[in-house]
Amino acid sequence: MQRFSLRTKLLLSFSTVIVVSALLSLIIGTYLVKTIIAQAQGKVKLDLNSAREVYQEESGNIKDVVRLTAVRFFIKDAVLKGHGEKLKGELQNIRDQEHLDVLTLVNRQSRVILRAHNPEVFGDQLNDDVVSHVLSRQKVVVSTQIVSKDDLERESRDLLERSRIDLIPTLQERPRTETEETSGMMIKAAAPVLDYDGELIGVLLGGRLLNRNYEIVDNVKDIVYRGEKYKGKDIGTVTIFQGDLRISTNVLRLDGDRAIGTRVSQEVYDQVIGKGVPWIGRAFVVNDWYITAYEPIKNISGNIIGMLYVGILEAPYVDLKNRAVLTFLGVAILSVTLLAIVALFTTENITRPLKELLFATQKVAQGNLSHRLRVKSGDEIGQLVGSFNQMTGELQKATEKYQVLTRTLEDKVAEKTEELRKAQDQLIQTAKLTSLGKLAAGIAHEVNNPLTSILINSHLVAEKLSEDDHFQENMRLIIDETTRCGAIVKGLLDFSRQTPPEKNISDLNEVVENTLQMLKSQILVHEIQVKKDLDRELPEIMIDVNQIKQVFTNMILNALDATPKGGWLTVRSQMASDKQFVEITFQDTGHGIEKGNIGKIFDPFYTTKGMAGSGLGLSVSYGIMRQHGGTIDVQSEPGKGTTMTIQLPVTEYQEDEAV
Amino acid sequence: MENKAKILVVDDEVPVCRSISSALEPEGYLVDQALSGEEALQKEGENRYDVIIADLMMPGMSGMDLLRAVKEKRSDIVVIMITGYPSMKTAVQAVKLGAFDYLPKPFAPSELRNLISRALERKRIYEEKAPVEEKAMAKTPLPEGLYCIPGHSWAKLEDDGNVRVGIHELYLRTVKNFSSIKFPDENEKVSQGETCLWVVDTAGNLHRLWSPVSGRVISINEEVEEDYSRVMEDPYGSGWLLLIKPLRFEEELENLLPFDKE
Ligand SMILES: Nc1ncnc2c1ncn2[C@@H]1O[C@H](COP(=O)(O)OP(=O)(O)OP(=O)(O)O)[C@@H](O)[C@H]1O
Ligand SMILES: [Mg+2]
Repeated sequence: MQRFSLRTKLLLSFSTVIVVSALLSLIIGTYLVKTIIAQAQGKVKLDLNSAREVYQEESGNIKDVVRLTAVRFFIKDAVLKGHGEKLKGELQNIRDQEHLDVLTLVNRQSRVILRAHNPEVFGDQLNDDVVSHVLSRQKVVVSTQIVSKDDLERESRDLLERSRIDLIPTLQERPRTETEETSGMMIKAAAPVLDYDGELIGVLLGGRLLNRNYEIVDNVKDIVYRGEKYKGKDIGTVTIFQGDLRISTNVLRLDGDRAIGTRVSQEVYDQVIGKGVPWIGRAFVVNDWYITAYEPIKNISGNIIGMLYVGILEAPYVDLKNRAVLTFLGVAILSVTLLAIVALFTTENITRPLKELLFATQKVAQGNLSHRLRVKSGDEIGQLVGSFNQMTGELQKATEKYQVLTRTLEDKVAEKTEELRKAQDQLIQTAKLTSLGKLAAGIAHEVNNPLTSILINSHLVAEKLSEDDHFQENMRLIIDETTRCGAIVKGLLDFSRQTPPEKNISDLNEVVENTLQMLKSQILVHEIQVKKDLDRELPEIMIDVNQIKQVFTNMILNALDATPKGGWLTVRSQMASDKQFVEITFQDTGHGIEKGNIGKIFDPFYTTKGMAGSGLGLSVSYGIMRQHGGTIDVQSEPGKGTTMTIQLPVTEYQEDEAV
Repeated sequence: MENKAKILVVDDEVPVCRSISSALEPEGYLVDQALSGEEALQKEGENRYDVIIADLMMPGMSGMDLLRAVKEKRSDIVVIMITGYPSMKTAVQAVKLGAFDYLPKPFAPSELRNLISRALERKRIYEEKAPVEEKAMAKTPLPEGLYCIPGHSWAKLEDDGNVRVGIHELYLRTVKNFSSIKFPDENEKVSQGETCLWVVDTAGNLHRLWSPVSGRVISINEEVEEDYSRVMEDPYGSGWLLLIKPLRFEEELENLLPFDKE
């Protein structure tokens, strides 16, 4: 299953449902058709009952006519006194009224007294089973009987004519050699004629020929089927068979005539005539298939002489069945198609968004976050699509934010890098100072020991010398210089210990003035012009005056050292442009500093002055500035001069620190 | 006791040992030398020295270790630390541990001699019965809220945040013939453990007094300047010497001892 796409899987499962439902509807359809046919057969059976009813009623009618006529006096009289014109008239009258084909009066010896139909022929012996029956049993009787050609002829020529039927070949008929049927089938009723004492004196026989007499069959049709037609054909058909021959029917031939003369199929004949068992079922009648019911008609002796048939045209049922089958098939096909379409649509509906989702996911994976899916349905897929859109939206937002962040981050990084670089420069400087501190501590220890020895011993020597010894002067020098060495070392140690500044709110201009005042003599010696450009509006700031004085001293002395006689030193104080710092610049017209050396001047022990300089001035100044949160900036052009800019932060005056 | 005091000089550098010895021997002291703490400890076991002068920074057993070891055995011994690295932390730690005093290198023989004489005086105070008046002096009530470098100076935080600084009574007692005080200038910077003023005796010798706090001198006690006997009479009260604006008193307080714990 894995190699099938989701779509195929969905379609397959849908198809299964489709096929199963189609099969199911077919099964239901055939079952329905079968029930319809079964019902039709049931109906036909009932119809046959109705037909029999009608047939028997007809027989009953004839019987009643005969019975009622037989008791009339003129009949008795006629038998007793012989026939007269009155009998003839009466019987003919009754025969006409009651549509009887035969109305014959016989005496006890079965001699014909009068044939109402044919008065000319009489006195002959009448061999009739029905009459015999009455004679022997003295009871009214009715029965369907075959009437031979001769008997018919005796009765009347037109009866012969009516009953004579040409055999018409049809499909599936029972084969027969004759080409015509000359005998007829008649419902006969006979009643005893009694004298006034109740003695049987004769029999009255009445009969109605069934051949070409459509009264019964049409009656049944009208009663049972009410003339219903299907495609121009009567739905219901009724037939009376004489033997296998249709003698009275409303089954029509193709040319529209009643199918008189056609015969029943072998199959039906064998069952109904042969075995005397009713036939219920499909049968081919004349030209069409019918759902039929046949039952035998027996004569008075109990022999089967004919059949009564009713049949319902199968076509409506077949058509119904076909229609049902077709409908079911149609419904099946329709539902299959519909289902298929729905399946296709649904799978499409399911798979398309999924495909789109897949596509979109790939896009997202490739980094395209602006891709959006259209939300179409409110179902889970729709929700999924919605969620996906939301997700990508959030992602996009986040990414945008991230990008903005990255950008600002980049800026920040650049900024920080710059800061860091500066900090690193400072750190290097600090590291240098720290290592200087360690160095100084080491030096102090190492140097102090020899100094101690020198100092003690020179003192001891000096003590030994007399007051006026001329070496006293030398010893004094040794002692003083050694003491100075000790002071230098102590200074170094102080520096290495980096004592935190002791800050007070102070006027920076005043510090500048004091420093210049302190260095007045040196400035004079160097023959340098000092120009002061002090901003009197400067705010007072928090500084360690002594340390800052030290810084200024270093700056001024360096400037003096660098500037030849007649040069200028400009000392300027002002607010920095950002108002956060106070700026003091020392600008000289000295020899300047080589570009490559600018980086070194803050290094401890870096000096270009040989024995005259210690190289600590600027590094100490740097340390002090650092502890003040300030900076020293150098700008120098060899041959032209140097500008040292010192910046000190303007701090909020704080009460507690000022106390 | 006179000049027959026995002194042991301990320094890892021979020239220093010799120099110190030759500065002290003419004074009549019996001076021994040791080049390490271990050696010093061993020699101390053999001879009972009155004074041990030991370098703080020595390889192996440091001056501190030696001090601890020696003081454990003999509480009456006077130990003077010398150091080429005058860090208040180690110096005051040494004093806290029982060192009598310390001397930063380089120093002149006179400074050392003055210190030795003070040290021996201190030892004498401990060992011999001090004169009655001096004893009485020692019983000067010790005020509350005073913190000191034992045997040197005291500090007291005033309500205005400044610190009053004075001399420890014991210090005065070790200085024979106290005459005057050489004060620092006003506004001068002082550091804890470093010289804040000099005590002058009648012979004109200068004795360093270590400052108990770091800061700036705001004022000096002019009354004392007029009449130095005030210091002797009331060393913890009207005999105060300096008013200092402290720099980090809280922090430095842990290097000092409360007076009564001395
Ligand atoms: N204004 C200046 N003009 C030219 N060069 C200068 C100037 N200031 C400093 N320098 C250079 O920087 C070096 C370092 O100066 P720094 O003050 O640290 O030490 P120094 O002046 O050499 O010695 P010290 O200040 O310890 O006596 C100087 O030797 C000098 O070469
Ligand atoms: Mg310089």
